[in-house]
Amino acid sequence: MIETKQLTRSFQNGDIQTQVLKGIDFLVPDGQFVSIIGRSGAGKSTFLYQMSLLDEPTGGKIIIDGHDTHTMSQDARMRFRLNRFGYVFQDYALLPELTALENVALPLLMQGHSRKKAYAQATEALQSVSLGHRLHNLPSQLSGGEQQRVSISRAIAHKPTILFADEPTANLDNESSRAIIDIFKKLHKAGQTIIMVTHEEEYAKEAERLVRLDDGKILSDTKHHR
Amino acid sequence: MPLNVKIGFFLAVRALRRASLWTTGLIIGVMILTFLNLVVLSGVLVGLMQGAINAVRTQYTSDVIVSTLNDKQYIENSPNIVALIESLPEVAAYTARYREAGQLEANYRTRRDTDKPNTANAVVVGINPVMEDSVTGISSGLVEGEFLTAGDYDKVVVGGYLLKQYFPVETPGFTTLENVAVGTKIRITLGEVTREVTVKGILKSKVDEVAMRAYLVDSQMRSLVGRNDGNVDEIAIKVAEGVDAAALRDALLLRGVGEVAKVQTYEDAQPKFLKDIISTFNMLGAAFSSIGLVVASITIFIVVFINAITRRKFIGILKGIGINGRAVEVSYIFQSVFYALVGSALGLALVYGFLVPSFEAHPIDFPFSDGILVAPFGQTMFRVGLLVVSTVIAGYIPAWMIIRKNTLDSILGRN
Repeated sequence: MIETKQLTRSFQNGDIQTQVLKGIDFLVPDGQFVSIIGRSGAGKSTFLYQMSLLDEPTGGKIIIDGHDTHTMSQDARMRFRLNRFGYVFQDYALLPELTALENVALPLLMQGHSRKKAYAQATEALQSVSLGHRLHNLPSQLSGGEQQRVSISRAIAHKPTILFADEPTANLDNESSRAIIDIFKKLHKAGQTIIMVTHEEEYAKEAERLVRLDDGKILSDTKHHR
Repeated sequence: MPLNVKIGFFLAVRALRRASLWTTGLIIGVMILTFLNLVVLSGVLVGLMQGAINAVRTQYTSDVIVSTLNDKQYIENSPNIVALIESLPEVAAYTARYREAGQLEANYRTRRDTDKPNTANAVVVGINPVMEDSVTGISSGLVEGEFLTAGDYDKVVVGGYLLKQYFPVETPGFTTLENVAVGTKIRITLGEVTREVTVKGILKSKVDEVAMRAYLVDSQMRSLVGRNDGNVDEIAIKVAEGVDAAALRDALLLRGVGEVAKVQTYEDAQPKFLKDIISTFNMLGAAFSSIGLVVASITIFIVVFINAITRRKFIGILKGIGINGRAVEVSYIFQSVFYALVGSALGLALVYGFLVPSFEAHPIDFPFSDGILVAPFGQTMFRVGLLVVSTVIAGYIPAWMIIRKNTLDSILGRN
């Protein structure tokens, strides 16, 4: 479960202070698939970065599974990200010199798993997104959709508590985007908590819950039953 | 193995394996050149002097030289000392020499009274040709004529520096003989005694002590100087295989030879200025090499910095997904160590597999020595260590600079 209380984030640029998040109260129970949607500059990505501990809020609290992240050291936040979170970025964010298998295995190795176990888990994760035949390909040898599926494999291989996705379909064609959303839905069905930021209404509506953000505040919060 | 090191190694191996061959080749090329700059530059500078020292040892002093005390005219009790030397198992060969300062004169028959005499001051040496050659092999330096044989009376072998055609240098107070070749008759004057001899051979050497001497057979020298007691002026000794020159020196001193003669190893006999030049050249070499080391460090710094800055986004992502920044730093350190070690290994192969043997086979022809490449293995390995350490530092700093940047800023490419 992840909860934010009066979450604020502002940026200082010289004398000008821009408040991007203006006191957001938000709660995501375990197993929920949430889409955060909003126009450009609404603060949706900033909100995701706060929740996923990639950035530190200016004010308010983020509580994850009972842990107040405000009191955590940088190292503790890093370990938290490694062990509990999974990330899917807009531009796949795969290391170009690592094969698909190595990219997925890397966080597992960092968790201290043996090479054999890490590779076995990574293979399983890649097979779950139909990339069992692309294990030893470098990112440059994969299509955009395939790279994003490798990125999802990396995010889920260590069975994270929460999967964060920042515009996962933004760089993909319709067919690939549909495949990614289908994977998310499948993961959600298996009990995975997913928080996805997107600007594409069509895909946002596929989530169980749709949160619309505008001007740093939640404009609407709708739950769908599918 | 700590996890960060393990992950760092994992990342480094893959980065190196899949890096551009050109970039890798360029960096390793810089490392090889830096290594050569570190080792070869000072090695050649020192080798200039070492070549001279080696030549003096080979052609003049051999491993140990026993010579006249400063306040004596010859080595007293020489026959007993020679007998002692002969009896020592550490000795492979020796040569005893008579030595007197004298004057050589040529063209004295055709010279008019108003002409300046064609003379040269020389050290005249009496040798047993076979024994001398077995120790110093100086006959190999003959450029004209033949070397002496035991029965050669009234024959002389002249060092090249005594002849104008081999040493055309005009130095005030220093004269050389003109128009002298093999077969020319010259006069040797030692004190009050003058003898006419025929030039049998001309010896060329870069060792002053060899090239500025005139060589006679020892029996003739004895008759010239009127010394029949068997006392000689120098004994050059070649030690047996595996024997340390200092050990033989000490053995001779222990038996009291030091009371009647100077006993020195070839190193002891080196003039102080030579040692000073070597240490100066060492310093110069170290200074030049340091510049090379700094250049190499800057090169590695730039390469790693550019690499890290272009990969800043990936470094941010690595940190974002929970990979410890230390592991990323370690990966850059491993890459730097790889470049330094491969560069050094190739440099070592080049130095010991090609350059050192080549310099030995074809020394650089300097006027005063045959320059070789001096690269003692211990010193070379120290320089390898120096290169690795400076490369590691040069690789670590830029990686550290990039890694300490804010994770999200790195991911988003913000400054």
